[in-house]
Amino acid sequence: MLDKSSDVQSKFWEIFSKQDRKKVEEFKTYMDKFAINFNLYQDGNFIEQSLPFDIIPRIISKSEFSKMEKGLVQRITALNLFLEDLYTDAKIVKAGIVPEEFVYEAKGYLKEFAGFSPSKKIRTHINGIDLVKDTKNDEWVILEDNLRVPSGASYPLSIRDTYRKIYPDFFEQLKIEPIKQYPSYIADSMNYVNCGGINVVLTPGRFNSAYYEHSYLAEKIGAQLVRASELCVIDKKVYFKNYNGKKIRVGSVYRRLDDDFLDPTFFNPESLIGVPGIIDAYLSGNVAIMNAPGNGVADDKGIYYFVPKMIQYYLNEEPILQNAPTYLPYFKEDMDYIFNNIEKLVIKDVAEAGGYGVSFGHSMSKTQLEDMKTIIAAHPRRFIAQELIEFYDEKCYLHNELKERKADFRAYVVVGEDVKVWQCGLTRYALEAGNYLVNSSQGGGFKDTWVME
Amino acid sequence: MEELLTANSATSLYWLGRYLERVEATLMEVSIAYDNIIDVDKNAGVALYKNFDVDLSYSNALDFLNIALLGEHNANLKNIVVQIRENAIISRTQLGEDSFGEIIELHTLFKNVSLATSYIDYKFIDNALSLISEIWGSLSKRQQRKQSNSFIILGKLVEEVDFHLRLDKEKVLSLVILEEIDIIVEKLTNITESKDYKEIDKHEIVSLVNAKIDMIVTDEISSI
Repeated sequence: MLDKSSDVQSKFWEIFSKQDRKKVEEFKTYMDKFAINFNLYQDGNFIEQSLPFDIIPRIISKSEFSKMEKGLVQRITALNLFLEDLYTDAKIVKAGIVPEEFVYEAKGYLKEFAGFSPSKKIRTHINGIDLVKDTKNDEWVILEDNLRVPSGASYPLSIRDTYRKIYPDFFEQLKIEPIKQYPSYIADSMNYVNCGGINVVLTPGRFNSAYYEHSYLAEKIGAQLVRASELCVIDKKVYFKNYNGKKIRVGSVYRRLDDDFLDPTFFNPESLIGVPGIIDAYLSGNVAIMNAPGNGVADDKGIYYFVPKMIQYYLNEEPILQNAPTYLPYFKEDMDYIFNNIEKLVIKDVAEAGGYGVSFGHSMSKTQLEDMKTIIAAHPRRFIAQELIEFYDEKCYLHNELKERKADFRAYVVVGEDVKVWQCGLTRYALEAGNYLVNSSQGGGFKDTWVME
Repeated sequence: MEELLTANSATSLYWLGRYLERVEATLMEVSIAYDNIIDVDKNAGVALYKNFDVDLSYSNALDFLNIALLGEHNANLKNIVVQIRENAIISRTQLGEDSFGEIIELHTLFKNVSLATSYIDYKFIDNALSLISEIWGSLSKRQQRKQSNSFIILGKLVEEVDFHLRLDKEKVLSLVILEEIDIIVEKLTNITESKDYKEIDKHEIVSLVNAKIDMIVTDEISSI
């Protein structure tokens, strides 16, 4: 994709060729200072590791990004309207646009929230939309909507900061969109939906896989980073416990834990990382929780199929950004198509995330394909099938050589008074040549993304 | 407006200040002992580490540096630096980018030297000390803006007293620091403490000063 012939990219290579390659080591050392690490448990051991990164940025021209931006604003606006509708009047279900089995059987649908409308009717505050650029038509295609707790924004923030310090020439000579405003987007959104009180970022704690991101973002947003035990709920109001015993009202919670763990009195009673009573406070309109509990229904892989229809239904517009061609075994004709073409499709288990539960037909044996068909026939709601998108490779500077790697892109969209698209995003690349899975949990690395004129 | 800080962050900042001071003070003492071991007093290191309740044995000055800083004992500085990093991670939102980055750098310095097969030398101590000075420097920049830095300073001063008394240094200096500690405690709690520390023996002073943080930080809610 980093085509030397294109104008914006040739400008990059021109400056890159004049840079001191020895500074790559300096770059790596400086990145370590941010300690944007990724925690994981392996064989029962706690391991802290830094994510692999690449110094060659993905470059997207301003005009190309503007089109993507419009499509993202449109999509998130529709998804927010869908969630608000679904949990209140459910008109879209009554109109038969989205089959009710898909909604009410979705794991992410929380019936306890039916009839409740959150502060300012905003449910999708911070969103991560995964896209790839299709080589067939040169268009960006949506792969997945993450409307619950999307992570990863701290990686581009930290690598950009490093880039500017180590290689300032690029930023002096090229018109690269600045990205520092992202934390202020979140702060603005928190302030907008705030129900009276301070803003906090709720983390599961030090040993969570994304703890570094939680603390990094809390600092940038200017919100208090808290664990559940540092909040309490009294008379359906949430309070921050100050070190001196005083309690301070909390108006908005940017939670970095899943619905299931948010409140042990409401969801999983065994959760040790949730705040007892927070959902009661939320349902009483005394605190904003972002993103809203119950959003999981909208980023369900089955519901994804219906997002273009939502755009038409709520906005009366044609989708600007397309989904990857998707088939639902739930529909007879789709089931037939899947069974006839399974070897060229990607099968996804809707209950899985992070690159898990993804099977590529082309790499499965005949027996495996037959087994898969049997499972799909028995559980049609559990799977979707997608055409394999041949997406562009990105050039990566690995082991002192330029190499091609598959790369996707996560765009961040923040909803407050307005819908804002961050002029950056997380470009993730596969470490191995030919691998299509780029998720951090699958060993992928990340690089900066420059939106350039 | 009153600064907001969780009990966990306040305690982490306090221990960050204590551990950072401990590493700095120890490195300075180790540096002096190292110089003496070369050609003045072979047992200077043994005497120093007795103060930390550690029986140290070494073959020469360089061996002393290695065993003193990285050996398997309670005063192992590498482990204390790990604790500094842990406390910085927990209180990161209060620290600011520069201080946090420098602490990570200090940790990396210790981690690298403990992984390498080579001995620690004077240059390592110089590097560590200048990095610590930078950390204090960037923390003091923040100090003008953040009340939460009082916890770091409190930790630093408490450790200074503890260290002074452990090493049997002049009590007068400790008394001066104790006054500073009480001013911080008063600032954070509005409680005025006017103890006459001159009449109290050093063990009692150490206990008193170590308990100061418990007067300030609580997990309980005081009023509804």
